[in-house]
Amino acid sequence: MTATLRLARTTGSGVRDQRRLLAGLLVLGVVLVAVFLLSITMGSRAITLGTVWDSLLRPGSGSVAQTVVREIRVPRTLLGVLVGAALGLSGTILQGVTRNPLADPGIMGINSGAAAAIVASVMLFGAGGLSTYVWFSFLGAGAAMLAVYSIASFGREGATPVKLALAGAAVTAGLSSVTSTIVITHSDALNELRMWQVGSLAGRYLPVFWQVLPFIAVGCAVALFSGRALNGLALGEDIAVALGQHVVRTRLVMFATVAVLCGAATAACGPITFVGLVVPHLARLLCGPDYRWILAYAAVLTPVVLLGADILGRVVLANGELQVGVVLGVLGAPVFIALVRSRNLVKL
Amino acid sequence: MSTQTLSPPPQAPPVGTRAADVRRARRRLGLLVTTGLGLLALALLVLTMMVGSYGLTPWEVVASLAHQSQDPATDFIVRGLRLPVAATGLAAGIALGVSGAIFQKLLNNPLASPDFVGVSSGASLAAVASIVLFNASSVAISGSALIGALVSATLVYVLAFRGGLSGYRFILVGIGVSELMLSLVGYIVARAELFEARQAMTWLVGSVGQAGPGQLWALIVALVVLLPVAILLERPLRSLELGDDTARALGTRVELHRLALIAVSVVLIAFATAAVGPVLFVALVAGPLARRLLGPAGGHVLAAGFVGASLLLSSDLIAANAFSSPLPTGLVTGAVGAPYLVWLLVTANRQGLGG
Amino acid sequence: MTHELRGRDLSLGYGGDDVVSHLDVEVPDGRITMIVGANACGKSTLLRGMARLLRPSGGQVVLDGRSLQDMRSIDVAKLIGLLPQSPVAPDSITVADLVGRGRYPHQGWFRQWRSEDELAVQAALEATGTADLAGRPLAELSGGQRQRVWVAMALAQDTDLLLLDEPTTFLDINHQVELLDLLTDLNRERGTTIVIVLHDLNLACRYADHIIAMRRGVILAEGSPREVIDASVVTAVFGLDCEVILDPLTGAPMVLPRGRHHICGGGWRREPPADPQSVRGCPGLRLG
Repeated sequence: MTATLRLARTTGSGVRDQRRLLAGLLVLGVVLVAVFLLSITMGSRAITLGTVWDSLLRPGSGSVAQTVVREIRVPRTLLGVLVGAALGLSGTILQGVTRNPLADPGIMGINSGAAAAIVASVMLFGAGGLSTYVWFSFLGAGAAMLAVYSIASFGREGATPVKLALAGAAVTAGLSSVTSTIVITHSDALNELRMWQVGSLAGRYLPVFWQVLPFIAVGCAVALFSGRALNGLALGEDIAVALGQHVVRTRLVMFATVAVLCGAATAACGPITFVGLVVPHLARLLCGPDYRWILAYAAVLTPVVLLGADILGRVVLANGELQVGVVLGVLGAPVFIALVRSRNLVKL
Repeated sequence: MSTQTLSPPPQAPPVGTRAADVRRARRRLGLLVTTGLGLLALALLVLTMMVGSYGLTPWEVVASLAHQSQDPATDFIVRGLRLPVAATGLAAGIALGVSGAIFQKLLNNPLASPDFVGVSSGASLAAVASIVLFNASSVAISGSALIGALVSATLVYVLAFRGGLSGYRFILVGIGVSELMLSLVGYIVARAELFEARQAMTWLVGSVGQAGPGQLWALIVALVVLLPVAILLERPLRSLELGDDTARALGTRVELHRLALIAVSVVLIAFATAAVGPVLFVALVAGPLARRLLGPAGGHVLAAGFVGASLLLSSDLIAANAFSSPLPTGLVTGAVGAPYLVWLLVTANRQGLGG
Repeated sequence: MTHELRGRDLSLGYGGDDVVSHLDVEVPDGRITMIVGANACGKSTLLRGMARLLRPSGGQVVLDGRSLQDMRSIDVAKLIGLLPQSPVAPDSITVADLVGRGRYPHQGWFRQWRSEDELAVQAALEATGTADLAGRPLAELSGGQRQRVWVAMALAQDTDLLLLDEPTTFLDINHQVELLDLLTDLNRERGTTIVIVLHDLNLACRYADHIIAMRRGVILAEGSPREVIDASVVTAVFGLDCEVILDPLTGAPMVLPRGRHHICGGGWRREPPADPQSVRGCPGLRLG
């Protein structure tokens, strides 16, 4: 009782800090809108805001620029927001539930599960469009994550960070050898896989958006309301139980949410690593230890980072694009390593 | 229990005391098992050379190896065609097994493996880049893989070193560096032509047969130089197992010995990867298997090497012959290794180990 | 052999601020010394500095006139043995194997197992009463047995000085006493200089020849238990209000804490008594 009370007022002297956090969130929201617009206007073909406005208001008009806006840029950007929010929230939840600062859905074998499922589907049913892969990779991701968590939580200590990372690496390696087997023997699978497995917002149009929207929307809703539960878990299982929380049930719901969110995100855009790991930490730096705020900040901040990386990928090369997965992988790893170095990792 | 008083400093040595017996018995067992494993590896070597489209008996193989054979055709098949591949399997297997065993003891974690902590991914990145971007020859690919592995390992060491080396940090930094390299690999493969992508992904799976004579000799030289060093370093390794404080209290020079052990382990696996590609799981599995066979006896670095060799040779045997067309070795090691790995995780965790 | 181990103007820390600064300390040869103090007072840090586990950020640790930093680690290990606070052991290691590793400083690349190594190991096992556990894996033993095996390893190292960091922490009271009795045997029969960081003040008073009381990285008092431990010192070191008597069994000082409850005569108060003198002279309490 005392602990929850203290936590509710955790950001110092109550109302004043709440107002500050709200203001911060609104600022981030504005940044997101700015990045959103930037994403629609920037690219190999520069488009003015006026054109954007026109094409949205008058959907019938057929100029090339407006088609680009409607068919390509807007879906891409919307997907970026959706996937970004999904990744940010799932990363935050995972860190909160496992109570370790280095949990990242990508390291938990999700990506390799999705990949394995995709190549299996190509092998069994032939190459379909991206839309067909979405379902398979969704299932594959969920199954892989379940496996990783179950394996890592055997034994006295449960799922410690290192065990999770290693279980994730093990499942990843195991699944990737299955994937390799299929890919070596089926050229079409190889072709589909290598295109998919660099996370990218490009080439995804409205159908994909509509496919993943319900899952991510539901997942986000659950996630945003799980702040209190995460705050409770943050005090440790024993205390959480003593405070009346159903720890096992909460954990299960949380993991399922992560699986849904991250599975859908990966299914839509391929594996995007590190952003789900790093951004929650940034959010925590900005708003303190209260998970209700961290979730809100992560949901807004991650799309900003993701879209920013996407825009960067569009402009950094003279011709062609750099997929957002590569940009984040190259930038995210140093941040991850800096994180690892900065903490006192005597015993996680 | 009643307190026992300390016996006065001993004069006459009591023969056959318990602790000494225990140690001697274990040493004998260790020697026996290690020798047995070595013989197994040799037997598999011969077996590998017997099997194929042109079958041979063991005597023919041995005779040809000893330059005693009368038949030039047999000589050609054995010494010209099959020996290089078999020898590569033997040498790479030993290197992988030894390297993996050292890594695991050093990081005190049966799940730590050079496979996972950035060394292999550095080799992969370099190799794939040279395949796709530079259209390199086989030798150049191996050379760049070697350099990639060494650079990547150095990077991980430097980044993980912070007033000393903690096992956990090493693993986690390794996973981070690995992710970075693998995302670059993915990018390169996605942008390549299909046939280049194919070649790259085949290399990435790893196969004993892809090594040429140059790689084999480089590997053998590395093994000849480093294997004795590894065996010599087993003593400080046993000290390091007890934790930094205890090791220092016993007089071990902790950072120096640890660096030496990591260096030996990394160089061995770099040469092995340059020769056969990043074959999964051999380095991971050889150490625990050896330890389970030897029991709690120490001195199992060499035994792990023989286990690795046996694993790699038998995987290659299966991969090359059991299917309608020869498969890369890495697929079989993966198929065998993944369930074993899961089992290891589950049982290791039950004993409260593994992290 | 007599040895002189002392710290001169010693400063120790873990990067950042020093935990111990400008300390002068001498370990009396051939005696049992106990270092006591509240948590984070620097007692473990001091011990580790004396055992060369920590590099001094200032000053030096001197053994027989030579600075520890100038000596080779192996040579130091032949003279000073340390049992650290939470030792780790690899899985499935046997007792005999672990104790055997204590012989490390006496062996070399070409000088492996000799009979004197076997003897030292056997003697260590017998001294700690673990000889019949020799073939068992460490993980199967109870906490008390395991701790004794670790002590056996330190004993097998066969050093003239033995330093132990909180060796009794996870032990039952009977095992704590056994261990301290064993160390006393070692000291009396072999003349080993023993330095122990101990949490339990009363046990420290009973077993120590020499006590070093620390607070915030500074030595507040040192000397024989009777000289050093009185109520004012305990209050200064631990912030504890107490009464110190001589324990009726051994005559060593014994600390009786005073809380808010359980004041002599029954009843309780919200605050400690304004005048401690007012509760002295409790009937039935023997002082002096």
